[in-house]
Amino acid sequence: MSDQQTPASTATSGSQHDDVTHFGFRDVPKSQKAGQVAEVFHSVAGKYDLMNDLMSMGVHRLWKRFTIELSGVRPGHQVLDIAGGTGDLTMKFSDLVGPSGKVVLADINASMLKVGRSRLADRGYAGNIEYVQADAEHLPFPDNSFNAVSIAFGLRNVTDKDQALRDMARVLKPGGKLMVLEFSKPSNPLLSKAYDTYSFTALPFMGKLIAGDSESYKYLAESIRMHPDQDTLKGMMETAGFANCKYHNMTGGIVALHVGIKP
Amino acid sequence: MFPGPTLLSAASAIVETALNQALEFDPAGRKALLAALTAPVQFDLTVPIALTLTLTQGAKGVLVGSQPATQPGLVIAGPAMAFYAMASGDTGAIKDGRLSVHGDTALAHQFQRAIEQLSPDWEAAMARHLGDVPAHFLAKRLRNSVKWSRDARQSMASNLEEYLHEETGALPGSRELEASFQDIDALSLRVDRLAARVEFLPQSQPASHLSSHPPEPPEPPEKQENS
Repeated sequence: MSDQQTPASTATSGSQHDDVTHFGFRDVPKSQKAGQVAEVFHSVAGKYDLMNDLMSMGVHRLWKRFTIELSGVRPGHQVLDIAGGTGDLTMKFSDLVGPSGKVVLADINASMLKVGRSRLADRGYAGNIEYVQADAEHLPFPDNSFNAVSIAFGLRNVTDKDQALRDMARVLKPGGKLMVLEFSKPSNPLLSKAYDTYSFTALPFMGKLIAGDSESYKYLAESIRMHPDQDTLKGMMETAGFANCKYHNMTGGIVALHVGIKP
Repeated sequence: MFPGPTLLSAASAIVETALNQALEFDPAGRKALLAALTAPVQFDLTVPIALTLTLTQGAKGVLVGSQPATQPGLVIAGPAMAFYAMASGDTGAIKDGRLSVHGDTALAHQFQRAIEQLSPDWEAAMARHLGDVPAHFLAKRLRNSVKWSRDARQSMASNLEEYLHEETGALPGSRELEASFQDIDALSLRVDRLAARVEFLPQSQPASHLSSHPPEPPEPPEKQENS
């Protein structure tokens, strides 16, 4: 485990160089990260939902349910679901906003967006959902457009997270809410050990077995370790201009939901 | 803090699924309940653990949440046992203050009526899985069992009450108690009046010396009833 923890310091030193960022535990040029992340998601898109259920043992549905509960979305609201992928949150938002509201499912990856659109159409979701291929760092929407913005398990894949958070603040209406659901740091050391073991052995194995791709799931485990912890992300949200920022640890801090309000 | 968000979400998901499946077997009750949920209804459990559940009207049924609603139309708070009593048809849970109710009283009445009208067709639910004949057979047995247990519970309660009141005399009878309480109320009222008169006496004394008429005697005590 000690080997797996050292890259955090590597990333810190790497972040000192403006043109380098991390891709899992490796340093890559910033210009290449988006392409490499895209390759990962092109590879796993078809089995994404199945793998999510297997890896989290179904608990990811509860994490998303809690996110929806805290969103405060009501009929008529405009909602942006960034990195919406296969549309788990979009479906719930669509039910909440009703015919008078609108949900935008945005994802940078065309394969994920395609799977999400097919899945939602198959389940009869239409009329109040728009699909947009968009980069979280450069959202193609006017200022003050949405009542709520969510990004679930997507922020860690973004190259410039500060820029993405600033752009999310820009598209939110004053009083609008940002919800960032993301893997985080377990608070209990024992749980942390068990989680590390599970992540670096079971996840790539399951990825190989089910999706025929162990490298993508190795990247998943590594990218989680490189993601800022709860307090750091809270600070980043405050720097991006959000007020009343707070986070809720879930399942011992394996996942955290950060919430902030645009003043 | 226990229970955490994950457990709370799991609990609300289970309640939501169970409630909506039950409502599927009572279309009229479902319609009435959804119509009654014009605003979120919030239940705050205080004992044995602090827990909040909200009911909100959704596009596909009732949504159950584990977080306090932003603007609840009705908030009912109290211990779990009081909620159980209310669900079992004990309307006294609110009257005697075991449950506190805040918010729109019209919504409270409408919601209570909708809950009372709920009558899911469990036989139809079982028939889907078991077939009509076994489902009817089982449902009949279940209905009889429920009726028998309800009758037995009521009968046991009344027998026990009668034994304690009438046979052992360990507790006074309800009529005897009511009569005593009325006596106490009447006595309290008379004492209050007497106290007022005593307080009035020193002020009225100089006036009574000047007057040629003697002071009026106090009112005779009211005739005691039920004594």
